Amino acid sequence: MILIVNTTENKEITSRISEELKSKNITFEIMETADKKIGHCIGCNYCWLKTPGICSVKDDYEEILKKLVNSDQLWVISNTALGFIDHKGKNIIDRIIPLATMHLYFKKKQMRHVLRYKKHTDVGFVYIGEADREYLNKWSERVAVNFGSKSLGAFPKEDWKEAAACMY
Amino acid sequence: MHVLIINGSPRVKKFSNTDKILQVFNEGMMESDNTYEQYEVSNRNQWEKIRNAFDRCDNILIALPLFVECIPGLLLEFLETVTPKSGNATMSFILQSGFAEGVQLRCGEEYLQKLAGLLGCRYGGTLVKGNNFSIRLVEGQERENMTAPYKDMGRIFGQKGNFEDEECRKFTGPEIFPAPVRLLVGLMFKTFAAKSFEKTAKEWGCTRPLKDRPYQAG
Ligand SMILES: Cc1cc2nc3c(=O)[nH]c(=O)nc-3n(C[C@H](O)[C@H](O)[C@H](O)COP(=O)(O)O)c2cc1C
Repeated sequence: MILIVNTTENKEITSRISEELKSKNITFEIMETADKKIGHCIGCNYCWLKTPGICSVKDDYEEILKKLVNSDQLWVISNTALGFIDHKGKNIIDRIIPLATMHLYFKKKQMRHVLRYKKHTDVGFVYIGEADREYLNKWSERVAVNFGSKSLGAFPKEDWKEAAACMY
Repeated sequence: MHVLIINGSPRVKKFSNTDKILQVFNEGMMESDNTYEQYEVSNRNQWEKIRNAFDRCDNILIALPLFVECIPGLLLEFLETVTPKSGNATMSFILQSGFAEGVQLRCGEEYLQKLAGLLGCRYGGTLVKGNNFSIRLVEGQERENMTAPYKDMGRIFGQKGNFEDEECRKFTGPEIFPAPVRLLVGLMFKTFAAKSFEKTAKEWGCTRPLKDRPYQAG
């Protein structure tokens, strides 16, 4: 399953992607979160040490988390700020840490958290506005390393078709 | 010099590792003739005050935890609301994290380097160091052992106003642990560390295994 989280008000992009994926018979789900209540990670560590796998911030993010454990891909559609995705987009990624456990091990010479679920979700980004694409690609690679998956890349809105071509 | 210090952690001050690091860092910094004001982005009530100080101050130090390879969403949200500076301000960073090796923080560091410019400041360097996850979980001497090295760095920053000194670069420690160290630390993860995490969990009232899968069987 492909999960697409649109943190922006731009519904045109999701309707285009939706049409494209439908025409290819791909299973996907789009979550429009611009008007949803999704806060930032407060760093309480409860998801690792008190209520394993469950976020203590009770808002609309839990719905995303529940879907993520069955998703092959997560795409975050985000506006940009300061050369990067904006805070709404970043919050979607920061809040993902319940998918990891507190436990640690070494993988490819670097420390990593043992992941909670068998399914590891690949990550990709579509961004609307100015950003440093090269950096976003690099960062996306690093995000994926932490979740045992692969990066699908970061695409400016204009290249949404290229992004959609990776959604399968 | 007068320094504006912003703790960019979303964690409340009381529990913030960044705050414990700053307490020691600031001691070192105050050994020379400096003054500072410190704020926390975790407290939204301070945001207006931080913006005012940001407009006013020419030495800005942002101390932050690495959050999924870059800056925390909340710090980004705050920075989206400041007006970039024009003039001669310097912006430096203390970037600290959970994982211990230098290589883990480089992606975040790269962003900070660009961020200073985007906020209209000269980049004063980033003090990079990991292995700080447990600061909040320990007390007394054990905590002191973790934070003490930051005092020397505060001293250097207090004298130079940036992290360009070679000592600051070396402060990171190894980029990657050598194989024998990985073996040893890996063993410690499975034994001592696992036990101590379970102990903390119990103290926090956790009733399920730490590897529990609340949302599905697989
Ligand atoms: C959402 C989240 C993401 C994190 N991501 C990373 C990471 O990518 N790499 C790392 O080494 N540590 C990571 N950490 C660990 C923190 O950087 C570390 O615990 C830090 O000392 C917390 O400082 P604070 O108490 O001031 O917030 C993360 C912690 C949280 C809560």
